Amino acid sequence: MSALVLDGLTKRYGGFTAVHGASLRIPHGQFVCLLGPSGCGKTTLLRMIAGLEEPSGGQLLIDDRDITATPAHKRDFGMVFQSLALFPHLSAGENIAYPLRIRGVPADERRRKADSLLELVRLPGMADRPVSRLSGGQRQRVAIARALALEPKLFLLDEPLSALDAKLREAMQIELKQLQRRLGITTIVVTHDQREAMTMADLVVVMSEGRIRQAAPPMEVYRRPADAFVADFIGMTNLLEGEVTAPGRASVPGGELVLDGLPPHGRALLSVRPEEVLLHPATASGGQGSGQGAVANRLAGTLSFVRDLGASVEFRIDVSGREIVALTRPQDRPAVEPGAAVIVEIPAEACVVLPPEGGTAGERPS
Amino acid sequence: MKIGAGVGSGLGRRAVLAGAGGLAAAAAVGFPSIVRAQSKSLKVGVYGGYFKDSFDKHIFPEFTKATGIAVEAVAEPTGEAWLIQLEQAARAKQAPADVSMMSQVAMLKGMAAELWAPLDPARLPNATKVKPALINKYPDGRLSGVGAVSWYITLVTNTKSYPQAPESWATLWDPANKDKLGLLALVSNSFLLDVTAATFFGGSKHLDSEQGQLDCFKKLAELKKNVKLWYRDEAQFEAALKSGEIPMGQYYHDVTGLAAADGHPVRSTFPKEGGILDSGSWAVSKASKAGDLAHVFIDYMCQPQIQALLSRKVGTSPTIDRSATDLTDKEFAAVSSDLTPIVPRYDLYVSKADWLNQKWTEMIVG
Amino acid sequence: MIRRAPRSLGEHAPILFPALMLVVFFVIPFGLMIAVSVARRIPGGFYEPDLVLANYERFLSAFFGGVLSFSLELAALVAVVAVGIGFPFTYRLARLPRAAQVRWLVFLLSILSLSEVIIGFAWSTLLSRTAGITNLLVAVGLMAEPQSLSPSFGALLAGMVYQAFPYTVLVLYPALARLDPALVEASRTLGASPVKAFFTVVVPSQRNTIVATLIMAFVFALGCYLLPQLLGRPQHWTLSVLITDQAIYQSNMPFAAAMAVFLVLVSLALVGLSLLFGRKEEA
Repeated sequence: MSALVLDGLTKRYGGFTAVHGASLRIPHGQFVCLLGPSGCGKTTLLRMIAGLEEPSGGQLLIDDRDITATPAHKRDFGMVFQSLALFPHLSAGENIAYPLRIRGVPADERRRKADSLLELVRLPGMADRPVSRLSGGQRQRVAIARALALEPKLFLLDEPLSALDAKLREAMQIELKQLQRRLGITTIVVTHDQREAMTMADLVVVMSEGRIRQAAPPMEVYRRPADAFVADFIGMTNLLEGEVTAPGRASVPGGELVLDGLPPHGRALLSVRPEEVLLHPATASGGQGSGQGAVANRLAGTLSFVRDLGASVEFRIDVSGREIVALTRPQDRPAVEPGAAVIVEIPAEACVVLPPEGGTAGERPS
Repeated sequence: MKIGAGVGSGLGRRAVLAGAGGLAAAAAVGFPSIVRAQSKSLKVGVYGGYFKDSFDKHIFPEFTKATGIAVEAVAEPTGEAWLIQLEQAARAKQAPADVSMMSQVAMLKGMAAELWAPLDPARLPNATKVKPALINKYPDGRLSGVGAVSWYITLVTNTKSYPQAPESWATLWDPANKDKLGLLALVSNSFLLDVTAATFFGGSKHLDSEQGQLDCFKKLAELKKNVKLWYRDEAQFEAALKSGEIPMGQYYHDVTGLAAADGHPVRSTFPKEGGILDSGSWAVSKASKAGDLAHVFIDYMCQPQIQALLSRKVGTSPTIDRSATDLTDKEFAAVSSDLTPIVPRYDLYVSKADWLNQKWTEMIVG
Repeated sequence: MIRRAPRSLGEHAPILFPALMLVVFFVIPFGLMIAVSVARRIPGGFYEPDLVLANYERFLSAFFGGVLSFSLELAALVAVVAVGIGFPFTYRLARLPRAAQVRWLVFLLSILSLSEVIIGFAWSTLLSRTAGITNLLVAVGLMAEPQSLSPSFGALLAGMVYQAFPYTVLVLYPALARLDPALVEASRTLGASPVKAFFTVVVPSQRNTIVATLIMAFVFALGCYLLPQLLGRPQHWTLSVLITDQAIYQSNMPFAAAMAVFLVLVSLALVGLSLLFGRKEEA
């Protein structure tokens, strides 16, 4: 099966290392998002794939062919830039036909191809429009059509939607995903927006400080974060630090958790998504109240803050000085008000055991 | 500056201060002219730059010491600007300078406009010694100007390129000297028409007729291919002559002598047809109210010991016969020659200025 | 924003100052020059106010026509060569690290401080037989004996290009520094080699800047009057040289003014034409 393989790709600028030995295998037809905060090395990694940056180390292979030293203009990859980089002296159609012109395709064929690409990105009849007279979304589409004009093996996009307003951005995310499915082209998008990544990607590659932290399908990245950074960066999470007291048992501030996958001894770091946390009023007749002492996976606390988010309700609970966040559907809202004593239930299956902070992270074995 | 003494002027080292002098002179116009007879001070216009500096240093202090008359030296600007300023000031009954050193062409133009106050020969006993060629008279015989300074333009060569000194101006036409000459660029400061007439047509009388002038132009056209540089800038030719880049040409006798004394491989030769004798005259503006003092000044300048002083300190040729001076042979040879000089036909450069200039430009440019 | 036409003096104020400067420094001097150009020359003297066309008639000859067309061709060639070298140079310059850019710009600015005279002397020495670069070529064995390369058309061209070069770089620099580097990268990913990217993207996207710079260099070169004397032979003397001759050496102000007026009109017409041509292309 053909694939793009990154093998220990590294980029150093003087003493600064922008990308540390990135290794990844991207099967054909995948939609990949490189996700991370700004300065994490995701754009540098994309530019190395495009051939715009020369790697300081490592290899890049496509279909088992080493292209590490192949110049950008011989790679046949289409790329959409953050600034879009539309040629200001050319019309929309001429921009799209530019790569064909470079290759000496005859004018009438170029024209036909440009028209059909404009059709593809839903801008029919815009061929003669100067790019300065296109709206933001239209420019976006022209840039995409231009990058696709050569039917590239790889479609690269560097923060392509960052200049658009929120509504248009969401629409474009879906459109881009549909387009990619239709064409079946291997696509790599750089983004710092986790929603965007979750919306579009088959494979999310989370990066931080020049390293790949996790590469997995969106739901797995969300549910099974490889480390504390990923857990924290993707969505909202509760990070709990505990001490393993016995096999399968860990004490955390406010109580004790019983769960699988704990290390045999020492400290444990756990991630629990807020929507997995259950909240109960602490009533004396509750049967499982704090009065009965330490019942496993139930922690006693005080509700400090509640806010209604419409689709959900957020609770902030003070548990032995640590804040735990819980989310419930409005219809499941427990009858508690700020200041009330509550019981926080953390189901064992909701806990993800993370490697201790500072530990190495990599592709999580599934 | 010497070229300034011809009709034209160049941009050489002697002219550097001329522009500033022009401004000062312009500023002087319009101020009420004080009656200076009582205060015994005289405004004397001298070519700005080299001449003014030398006169300020060597001549004027001596004059003040001898006569008690203070001299206020005025730097004359290049070209004919000074004549125009004098004319315009005279119309307003002003005199930016009482006595001015004027080029021969400017003398003639000023005479045409009756600008110069007639001088009284009886009050200029020393002027009788001045060579007749250097005395200016109105058509009716009134004295309009007296020779102030004179100098020679001669045939100069680089001694390395020409171990043998040339003997005649005719050498300029020698095909062996192809691309070797540096000649002054303007008809009115090179005086090459006069040289041609003297060398090939028996003397300046040949220039009386238009046919004679055309003969000279035709002859001059023959030496064009020998000319490497038609220079307006003295310094450019001087440097090229010293280095041997342009090993032959016409240049100032005294300056060339100074360069040779400094060890440069250059020599100045008086051809057998004679050197070109150019000169400046003292003239008094009719608007001047210091006519008496002006006579004292002009008479003083004509004295043999002052002429000798000028030869020694300024490098000019005496305006009087050398036998009247105490110049040694060596001192005399440094600035002059006993050969009959070629005296330019200044009258032509006034009466046919535009025509000669047009023919000349077409001849060398065409 | 005021959409209606400005009415009060205050609303006109922003353009008043530049308009005043234009009148004081261009319209009035040019008007004076036109007035002088139709004045009557007094042979052997100065000129008197009049309305004669003799000065223009004298100019309308094959001789001056030849000089004029040579001047225009020379200025155009200087502009093309200066921009031809300056554009790729500035493009590279704008991509150097900041510190290196500053060093280059300071160096170029220092060339601007050189007067035409100094540039002329430097080049005539550089191209001379006795001290010039051909001696270097002889020393390394590329030439049998040193040659004099000045005065000549090549020397004149070199000197004028050298003089115009810093101006072209300084005019091109802001535009090229602003040029989005992604444009070239985009063309690279679209299959263009670096050279092809330069000619298909950088050059055409900077067309207006290039035209403006060409015009600037052209007008600049047209006004050159010392270098043709120092580095050129008489047949390379430009109209500016002849104007200087007439104005300074022949005291023929009316004729000098007539030639100057003609030169200004011809260059204005050429600049206007090239702008018109540019606008049409764009439409």
